[in-house]
Amino acid sequence: MQLSTSATVQTSHNYLNNVLGGILVPIRTSIKHMSLMQMLIKREIVTRTSGTVLGILWPLLQPAMQVLGFWFLFDVVYGMRQNRGPSYLEFLLTGMLPWMCLSEVLNRAAGMFREFSSLYHRAPFPIEMLPVFIMIIPALVYALVYGLLCFYMFGFIAAAKSLLVLPLLLLWLLPFTLLFSVLGVFMRDFTQVLPFLLMLALYCTPILYFPDMLPTQAQSWLWLNPFADVMTCIHALVQGSTIDAATGLRLLLVWLVLLVPSWHIFRRSLPHIREVL
Amino acid sequence: MAEPIITVQKVSKYYRLYAHDFDRVREIFSGKSHCQQHFALQDINFTVSPGEVVGVVGKNGAGKSTLLKLLANTMQPSAGTLHIKGRVAALLELGASFHPEMSGHDNIYLNCSIGGLSKKATDAVYADIVEFSGIREFIHRPVKTYSSGMFVRLAFSIATHIDPDILIIDEALSVGDGVFARRSFDRIMAFKKAGKTIFFCSHSLYQVEAMCDRVIWLDQGKIKSVGLPAKVVTEYDEFLRMESSQHESLETIQHTATEAPAAQHKSEIPRIFAVETTVDGHLAKAHHVVSGKSALAILVKFHPGKNVALPSVAVVFTGGDGRILTSVGSLNDGHHLQVDAQGVGIAELVFPEFPLLKGRYNIDVYLLCEQGLHVYESIIQAAELNVEQIGLALGIVNLPHSWKQ
Repeated sequence: MQLSTSATVQTSHNYLNNVLGGILVPIRTSIKHMSLMQMLIKREIVTRTSGTVLGILWPLLQPAMQVLGFWFLFDVVYGMRQNRGPSYLEFLLTGMLPWMCLSEVLNRAAGMFREFSSLYHRAPFPIEMLPVFIMIIPALVYALVYGLLCFYMFGFIAAAKSLLVLPLLLLWLLPFTLLFSVLGVFMRDFTQVLPFLLMLALYCTPILYFPDMLPTQAQSWLWLNPFADVMTCIHALVQGSTIDAATGLRLLLVWLVLLVPSWHIFRRSLPHIREVL
Repeated sequence: MAEPIITVQKVSKYYRLYAHDFDRVREIFSGKSHCQQHFALQDINFTVSPGEVVGVVGKNGAGKSTLLKLLANTMQPSAGTLHIKGRVAALLELGASFHPEMSGHDNIYLNCSIGGLSKKATDAVYADIVEFSGIREFIHRPVKTYSSGMFVRLAFSIATHIDPDILIIDEALSVGDGVFARRSFDRIMAFKKAGKTIFFCSHSLYQVEAMCDRVIWLDQGKIKSVGLPAKVVTEYDEFLRMESSQHESLETIQHTATEAPAAQHKSEIPRIFAVETTVDGHLAKAHHVVSGKSALAILVKFHPGKNVALPSVAVVFTGGDGRILTSVGSLNDGHHLQVDAQGVGIAELVFPEFPLLKGRYNIDVYLLCEQGLHVYESIIQAAELNVEQIGLALGIVNLPHSWKQ
């Protein structure tokens, strides 16, 4: 009995270590190679803006233009309004911008190893920093646009709270990023099907519609979709809507359950990646 | 004895082969092996002391490249331990991590940071990198606009300015061409003089023997022999002969030109501009020679270059199968070449009674640096000899001999 308890404690301890490893190793590697990180960010900006007239403004303009597009479609063309709570457009944008950020990061993760193979194949490049790196520019760009938008829609306090949304969202996404990066490199079909899967996830998540617009039966199944919980948390944080403890716990549980295996798989894949690509 | 700077203990490296691509994914996700292991290196043990120059020889597929990748830390061993103390610079695929859209300036900072230099440390060597590469006026332009020569000059300059403790060189002792080739060679030699550890992998047995303190011979992923260059290179050379493989001893950085244009007379680096071979006074490119009777003379005229030490000349005799039979070098013989009043370097070599027996032979001529390592220019098949013999001697050479009364 005592042995069994000790083994359980040991297992829990190992699991906790792996959880910490999954978070800390990518972050610690990124901090250790800060000047490399800065150069990679510069490299990224040059890649995205080279040959354009507006240059560095483009990464900001792209989400801003999408916001304008949503406003034009849903506010001007369809004139969608509702009598209670936030307007449809406010609801849509509160969820849609984080979703766009999430979608960009996950798509990028799937192509991450192929994109950076020239860096790590012939030099001792710290691969562990890549999952963090691919999040940085979307985080900065979307945080700025999202903060300004929340300030315009809900005021200063909501804008301040909105700055927490993307860092927390990206931290929660870390296991998905690790997993998708491995799937993307060894299962090329995955990179083809991922945009469709993300579109499907968007339609299954209350972003384009209020949750109570779903049929009652479908609403009772929403708890199975972790992205629905993510959106509930985002709306609660920014707009001050109510949230039950179960939603937060479910998100934490999904994260904890996924982080350890995805970190193991990521680490296990590294020798294969250096050999194959 | 100094503590080793490189310690390789029981290192093995295998590549995974899969029947189906999906088996790799299964292995990564399950942790259970679904592959066949192809060993590139097996149970390798050696240490390298600081300041040692170690050469690696072996046939293609012997595991040389894998060993270099492990030492350069771009790959991890499958088993065993590998300890490296200090910073490693690897001259492998120069410029592979350059970003074409970024300027030379930004690529310097990017590649230095990949090489482990902080921004401050990069600031300190930046001017030297630009100066050495000789592309100051282009440094703020995207590297995609660079010529291949400029590209490799910048990449070499970066790789050798990160102040490495260990330099890994794959195949060539110089990069680029012309003046830069000599400068890059001098830089590598400066590392040797400064007591840096060098790991040099090459097919050029001549360069390996001339440059290294110790040689490792890899064969089918295992160390077949290790020791002094003269011993290991001889063993390896013998092995190649046994395998009837093509000799590759002096085949690096070769030009295939048979004539050097006179325009090179004004070149900054030494250049051959004429090779004249005469047999019994007859000038030709193909000769009939009588073994032991004919006199062969080889005259090499060269431009000695500007601001470089007077070069040396080597002449190599090869058989019809490309195998090197013998060679003669001015440096090896302690002969100092002369430059005439017009500034033309002259090397004149005479074989009064040509000793090779019957057969067809080629003469290759090399113009080398004063240390006999860096090849400025080579003229392959500068002349062809068709040797006839009188008498019944067997083999390829009539050794100097006498019969006692």
